[in-house]
Amino acid sequence: MARSSLDMSSAQPNLTPLLDMVFQLITFFMLVINFKDAALDQSLTLPVLGSARPLDMKGQEDLLVLNIDAEGQLKVYGVVRDVKIYIADEARQEEARLKAKNTPLKPGEELPTMVVIRADRATRFNLLNEIIKACQQHNYRKFALKAMNRREGS
Amino acid sequence: MRRRLSHSKTDVELNLASMLDMAFQLLAFFILTFRPSPIEGQLSLHLPPAVPMTNVAAERPDVAEAAEASGTTLKTLEVSVFADATGEVSSVQVELRAAFQGPADAANLHKLDQRLHEAFALEGSPFEQVVIRVAPNLRYEELMKVIDVCTRQKMADGQLLRKISFVEMSGTDQAK
Repeated sequence: MARSSLDMSSAQPNLTPLLDMVFQLITFFMLVINFKDAALDQSLTLPVLGSARPLDMKGQEDLLVLNIDAEGQLKVYGVVRDVKIYIADEARQEEARLKAKNTPLKPGEELPTMVVIRADRATRFNLLNEIIKACQQHNYRKFALKAMNRREGS
Repeated sequence: MRRRLSHSKTDVELNLASMLDMAFQLLAFFILTFRPSPIEGQLSLHLPPAVPMTNVAAERPDVAEAAEASGTTLKTLEVSVFADATGEVSSVQVELRAAFQGPADAANLHKLDQRLHEAFALEGSPFEQVVIRVAPNLRYEELMKVIDVCTRQKMADGQLLRKISFVEMSGTDQAK
């Protein structure tokens, strides 16, 4: 009776192309991952405005993102923070940074940082206005009001 | 006497299985945490704090001139946005004249756009900023519709209007 010649041989698949493919996939996901998105509260329902355009930085590097829910509360990485204290701290840090760069802020001069307001569409104006006024008190003048181009799912 | 190296003919075989395991784990992590965020748009504005206004159509031009000479004021177009109990727009006024009554739908917003366009298209248009007086209970989404119309206006120098201030209406203002 003939004995199979494959009985004792070990099959060794060539894993190199598989490994290449996996590393390429990892590279892809590493490149598209954006850790800045963690600062955006995705639970908010932004207003829908057809003319809203995606963020054009134009050299603007410093952004102060404020996530404001329908109750007018400021959320930073999901944690509710006191608006006035948070904005005052951010403004102080920004001024210190400018001072360290030898470009200190002159009295009354506006901060170069752009305040990005991501407010829920149901937020009442009086609540929102308190936050805008707090920013203005600390010399923030550049604002970006966030909106979606279209409703999600459409 | 020459010694022959014993390793010269041996094959070095890397065990890739463990590396592949690790790579798959990394891949699984990236796939599970990957969540493409929706593309958000924005309206960019320059929002100075509300300053004393010079109403171009003021009944006291001497006051307006004095204020202008002091350099502390900006010639301002005033837009008032009223809200109903649900926080939706009920009417909008431009310089105390009704631009429209009713909800901020496409037709009414077009009326507002035309009214603002007329104001800014005047030769030597004097307006430097828009102050939007807003009912306190107006919802953000409704306000954005009005801001959107305002930011489409071109000023005398051809630049798009970006200088906007907000003022919260008092109870007496809303009753008017």
